[in-house]
Amino acid sequence: MVADAARSHNPPHAIDLVDVTKMYAGKVHALQGVSMQVRRGEIFGLLGPNGAGKSTLVKIMATIVRPTTASGTILGAPIGHHPTLARVGYLPEHHRFPQYLTGRQCVEFFGAMCLMRRHARRARAAEMLDVVGMGAWGDRRVSTYSKGMQQRTGLAAALVNDPELVILDEPTDGVDPVGRHEIRDVLLAMRDQGRTVFLNSHLLGEVELVCDRVAIMLKGKVERQGSLAELTHESRRWKIVFDGAAPTWISEFGEPSRTTADRSCVEFKSDDIARVQSLIDRLRAEHHAIVGVTETRESLEDLFMRLVRDVDGRSSAVGASNVNSAMRATTGATR
Amino acid sequence: MNAPSPHAQNAQNPSVSAVSTTSTHPCYRAHLTPTDYVVQTWALFGSAYQELNARKLFWVALALNALIIGAVAAIGIDDSGISILGYELGIPGVTAKLFPDGQLYKQIFSTLGVGIWLAWLSTILALLSTASMFPDLATGGVDTMLSKPVGRGRLFVTKFATGLLFTALQVAVFAVLAFLVLGIRGGVWEVGMFVVIPLMVVFFSYLFAVQAVVGMITRSPIASVIVTLLFWIVIFLVHSGEQFTLLGMTASRLEIEALERKIETLQTEDAKSGVILAVEAEKPQQANWKLAHDLFYAAKTIIPKSTETIGLTSRALSLAANMPTNDEVEGEGEDASARQQRGFFRSRSVSDRKLRQAIQTEMDSRSVWWVVGTSFAFESVLLSFGIWYFKRRDF
Repeated sequence: MVADAARSHNPPHAIDLVDVTKMYAGKVHALQGVSMQVRRGEIFGLLGPNGAGKSTLVKIMATIVRPTTASGTILGAPIGHHPTLARVGYLPEHHRFPQYLTGRQCVEFFGAMCLMRRHARRARAAEMLDVVGMGAWGDRRVSTYSKGMQQRTGLAAALVNDPELVILDEPTDGVDPVGRHEIRDVLLAMRDQGRTVFLNSHLLGEVELVCDRVAIMLKGKVERQGSLAELTHESRRWKIVFDGAAPTWISEFGEPSRTTADRSCVEFKSDDIARVQSLIDRLRAEHHAIVGVTETRESLEDLFMRLVRDVDGRSSAVGASNVNSAMRATTGATR
Repeated sequence: MNAPSPHAQNAQNPSVSAVSTTSTHPCYRAHLTPTDYVVQTWALFGSAYQELNARKLFWVALALNALIIGAVAAIGIDDSGISILGYELGIPGVTAKLFPDGQLYKQIFSTLGVGIWLAWLSTILALLSTASMFPDLATGGVDTMLSKPVGRGRLFVTKFATGLLFTALQVAVFAVLAFLVLGIRGGVWEVGMFVVIPLMVVFFSYLFAVQAVVGMITRSPIASVIVTLLFWIVIFLVHSGEQFTLLGMTASRLEIEALERKIETLQTEDAKSGVILAVEAEKPQQANWKLAHDLFYAAKTIIPKSTETIGLTSRALSLAANMPTNDEVEGEGEDASARQQRGFFRSRSVSDRKLRQAIQTEMDSRSVWWVVGTSFAFESVLLSFGIWYFKRRDF
């Protein structure tokens, strides 16, 4: 019993979603059974094209949208558990703070909403505004802020309650490159402090730079989930350059090519390092000097684009087959 | 930028950080304490006050309040006559003897201040000023708010209460200034003037409930104002219909009673039969009036009674501050719509005075609880629907 209680207070996953679905009015199936695990203390990136259901998923976690079906936990509590929200920080996409408040008042206001007492939230608001580089601007009205300044203030408001889990929806939207770099530093610092960061972003490069693990959502489903190494595992390629002409047996590995007059090269896809070693051994046994061995992997962007094309292709095929079926039915009826 | 390190000691050990979760997080509560409710509600009220402060209409309404009271304070009356800013108007007979004990000021505050300014113009300004509160709640800023440990029901109710704060502040300023003018210029310190604050807030809450729910559903300030004003017109029409049919029903009943008394006084059967025929002819009309009145009365019972609530304000002012009501001043003793319809029933054998007395008796028999209680019931149902809708809505 004690062990169970300890586990419920300290579960291994900050976010553990199981079979989350959301059907909007008009039979729009925004989420079709999403399952996702985010470990404690990691930065987790959520990727997907527009309409993939990312924002809906984020809003379900923040209790802004009600799921059609959902099970799982956020910080060990069931999804939608209100008291747990005090331990979560959330920066929504396109957030709009009250324009009549100053940045400091905004941050303090959300601190109060998270049940922080006056002295604590004042001190914490000042601290967080400094962290996001808004300390000097905190006493100006939000209506005078640029988009980037509003994002920074939003980040301060999301962190004011000292959250264990921070959910950020496009945090660098409208922020200049310097600001983006600073926000990335904040995210990394949060991870170093043991917080869990859930980052929803369109910016693949940004996600690749800071995230430990990512999930790629397409058409309401999680297509891939894992660390960058795991996700690009299958696309591991090797390029081996060696002296002399390519032996005939090398076509077992891949098509050889000449790099220079006295050098050849072979490229092939393999996840098996032993296979690479055996190739090198055979080449060396035939007195070919190995000039270079290069490992390449698919970038996150390449993987993302490939998945989007694959799923779009499948959808198009399904759509086409539906149209064909409908046309056949119509033709049959006419006959 | 370096983030502060409340978890710094756990920096290299996320599992240790995870221990500082449910039971140790400074903001976590399994159940909110009364202090937590106060912290959140106070913050919401503070934000609402700042929002009102930022609205020009709020200050326009306050300035108009001060202007109206200032205009009343500019009027002077003494034994020699009435004056404005010291200039004698020279109206014969209008002296302090005619309006003793600040009666002139009381009358002006009652009829113009409450009856027109607060009940109409100030209310419309308040509706316009608060029109965007619920559409705003249903659109832009709600995401961050809903991600905090505050229930949607409580958020809706608190937002509604902050809307009422607008009217409360405006009426409070009016009451305080009117109280001072009555005391300084009229020489009467009437604490009863402050009863106008809760009654006007109650009156405004009927309309604001409609505006809140429509604003929540449509997310449009303009739509919410238009629907609320239309609803106000419907209330007025139902009230007028009820008053008209009440007059007809009462006049018809009194007519029958008068004719029946006349029959008893008549000696000959011929004369009696003529009056009996008249009674029989009147009875179907009376039944029709009653049916029409019952329908209007039923409709009126369901919807808020804004006119009666304003009437309570005037009545409370008259009772508390010893002010004459409009009716007493005009010597009519009947409802305004009844006066308008008096000519319609003049051919009957019942005197106007008797008819007015009967109507007044009927109106007096309607309790404060019927007026306010049924109105609150309507408001409660409407707000419950609004809360239910807000709780179910995805943003």
